[in-house]
Amino acid sequence: MPHVPHSESHDATAMDRRSFLRTGVGGTLFLGTVSLGAGLSGCATAPAGRLSAVDTRMDASYRFQFLTRDDITLFEALLPAIVGPALTEQPEQRSQAIAGTIERIDQGIVQFGPANQQELRRLFDLLNFGLTRITIARVWSSWPSVTTAEAEAFLQRWRSSGIGLFNNGYIALTKISNVAFYGHPDHWHLSGYPGPPTWAKDALPQFKNA
Amino acid sequence: MSLTDRIAQGLESGWRVTDAATLTNHQTHEADVVIIGTGAGGGTTAEILARAGLSVILVEEGRLYHQKDFRMDELTAYASLYQEGMSRVTKDGAIAILQGRCVGGSTTVNWTSSFRTPEPTLNYWADQFGLEALRPEAMRPWFDGREQRHTVAPWLTDPNVNNDILRQGCEKLGFSWKVIPRNVKGCWNLGYCGVGCPTNAKQGALTTTIPAALDNDARLFHGLRADKLVMKQDRIDHLVASAMSADSVTPSGVTVTLKARHFVVAASAIGSPGLLLRSQLPDPHNRVGKRSFIHPVNATVARMPEKVDPFYGAPQSIYSDEFNFREGVDGPAGYKLEVPPLHPALSSGVVPGHGTEQLDNLKQLPWMQSVIALMRDGFHPDSPGGTVSLRDDGSPVLDYPVTDYLWTGLRNAFRTMAEIQFAAGAEQVRLMHLDSPWFDRWADAKAAIDTLPMEPHRVRLFTAHQMGGCGMGKDPRNSVVNGFGEHHQVSNLSIHDASVFPTSIGANPQLSVYALAARNSTRLASRLRG
Repeated sequence: MPHVPHSESHDATAMDRRSFLRTGVGGTLFLGTVSLGAGLSGCATAPAGRLSAVDTRMDASYRFQFLTRDDITLFEALLPAIVGPALTEQPEQRSQAIAGTIERIDQGIVQFGPANQQELRRLFDLLNFGLTRITIARVWSSWPSVTTAEAEAFLQRWRSSGIGLFNNGYIALTKISNVAFYGHPDHWHLSGYPGPPTWAKDALPQFKNA
Repeated sequence: MSLTDRIAQGLESGWRVTDAATLTNHQTHEADVVIIGTGAGGGTTAEILARAGLSVILVEEGRLYHQKDFRMDELTAYASLYQEGMSRVTKDGAIAILQGRCVGGSTTVNWTSSFRTPEPTLNYWADQFGLEALRPEAMRPWFDGREQRHTVAPWLTDPNVNNDILRQGCEKLGFSWKVIPRNVKGCWNLGYCGVGCPTNAKQGALTTTIPAALDNDARLFHGLRADKLVMKQDRIDHLVASAMSADSVTPSGVTVTLKARHFVVAASAIGSPGLLLRSQLPDPHNRVGKRSFIHPVNATVARMPEKVDPFYGAPQSIYSDEFNFREGVDGPAGYKLEVPPLHPALSSGVVPGHGTEQLDNLKQLPWMQSVIALMRDGFHPDSPGGTVSLRDDGSPVLDYPVTDYLWTGLRNAFRTMAEIQFAAGAEQVRLMHLDSPWFDRWADAKAAIDTLPMEPHRVRLFTAHQMGGCGMGKDPRNSVVNGFGEHHQVSNLSIHDASVFPTSIGANPQLSVYALAARNSTRLASRLRG
């Protein structure tokens, strides 16, 4: 007889708060509560749609399908810490690069599908909702007034935390930002990636008449 | 040079291919066999059954992409060709799952490594699960046949530097290494296998079995999600499927009903248990979704003194099995050593970090080399794998707790990989671990690896190989299907994908899936014609 698995056996009594938060179930309940709270408290929960160019300095033709206005503000505060050192100091180009990255984050999340969208919604609501932003993320100012140093400190706290859920949040925020930023042709030079070989593009039919 | 786009040609010639996003009315279709999934298993099954003269309908949730769409661009490829837009993870988020979601399944996006199922694995299956008929001798002709079908041969071109460093490190340390067999024909050695082969050189399902099935009058619906198999008495009567909109995320509201004499599920080790669970098919011993395996993968990266250009050249050409079965098939966790390609988006997502640190990490991409270790799980009582279950919305999710047994293997693998990279001349090595700095010396790395916390999230884990969850075996009490992939309880249902593996296999799975599906489809064809 093959070995029969016994992975279901968890020692529920040994669960302290920390290990509770480490588990997926704990994380879901915990963030689910926040999500409900955020909805009731008037956080922006609808996709931002097409924002005016003045409002956000973003391409006015881009229509946000997942990120809310609050989420956009959150990333405007976090991206200077996540990819800031790779950005030019020139203010206009800098804000354009950040705006473009947020649009690509939105595009990426749309393809994640409902289940992971829901996970991210909980994470973003937790960070956007004032009470949980302060008590759980320990970010005292609202995101528009958070400095790059404060954003950096927040990221380091979640990265070095002993609570797996926060590590997971750190990875989620930095991964989607890094991929949307470093993966874009405008930023390939930062990683020394020359792009697909020119000789191959010249020889392949799908690059003709493009 | 293998440039012919068989898909473009076939569509022109009038293949019966339907993009379900274009459907506006509910409809019903019927065939001898309905096959769910178009990857390694579904494609193989479709070709063999269609050539045998059976009428076949293929169902694919992802969309049909082919050469015109394969533009060597990571961001568009990850969004369109991968499950959940490349965001698929295990239930607790600790393991990233790279899996295809398109016509051809993962064979459209894999790195072309084509290994036979290791002999110790097949013998273990025979000994532990009563699968005597799958012993290496018996399987040999099926591997031979599939290697021919998919043009599998060891890569004769020089390995790229990324892979050669694994070879050099193994040489220095006296570890065995070998050249990887790849399923390519006229490969340009570009390095973009993971984002859809731009030259049609890759001989995955998309360029071989799927076109052959369609040439033989099979019908393909893509952008169609299999929701539920519906039973009538003791047989499956029909499949209920939902058309997806062109965005491939939202159902359009159109329902397609597919009737058949026989149903073959080949929707992957996550998708197939998910479909069976949604369908509430008989499962008297509660086996569906259990013993779901992956090869958990950890990684190290190195800074080399010479340029590596890890984004160019055949992504995988050298491997080492030095540690795979060294301590016996069921001893401490064994692992296979390979190399991943490193393009900027993938690297920036895999290497953890942000800010100046991350810029410094990525700045040196042209000098970066990486080794990965694929843990062989499922061969030991402390390695029971995970469980596929359904979320509230009916979508499947893999819960995969990493046991101490695997953590020990992962720690050993960190040690091996760092040692190999330093032996090959690395200036610095970093573990894909939140707490790892760049190490300048092997001794420092070694000392740190002994004490680093091996915990979910802190250790960055990945997998591109999903197996099990509908395991095969002789005894219905511990398996879902028999050695021919035939469901123990439902007579007109077969499962032809990696979900039938009773353990992980200790090698990249595509050739194992091709071979088993070919064997079981040949049997099925004669059964259905008889």
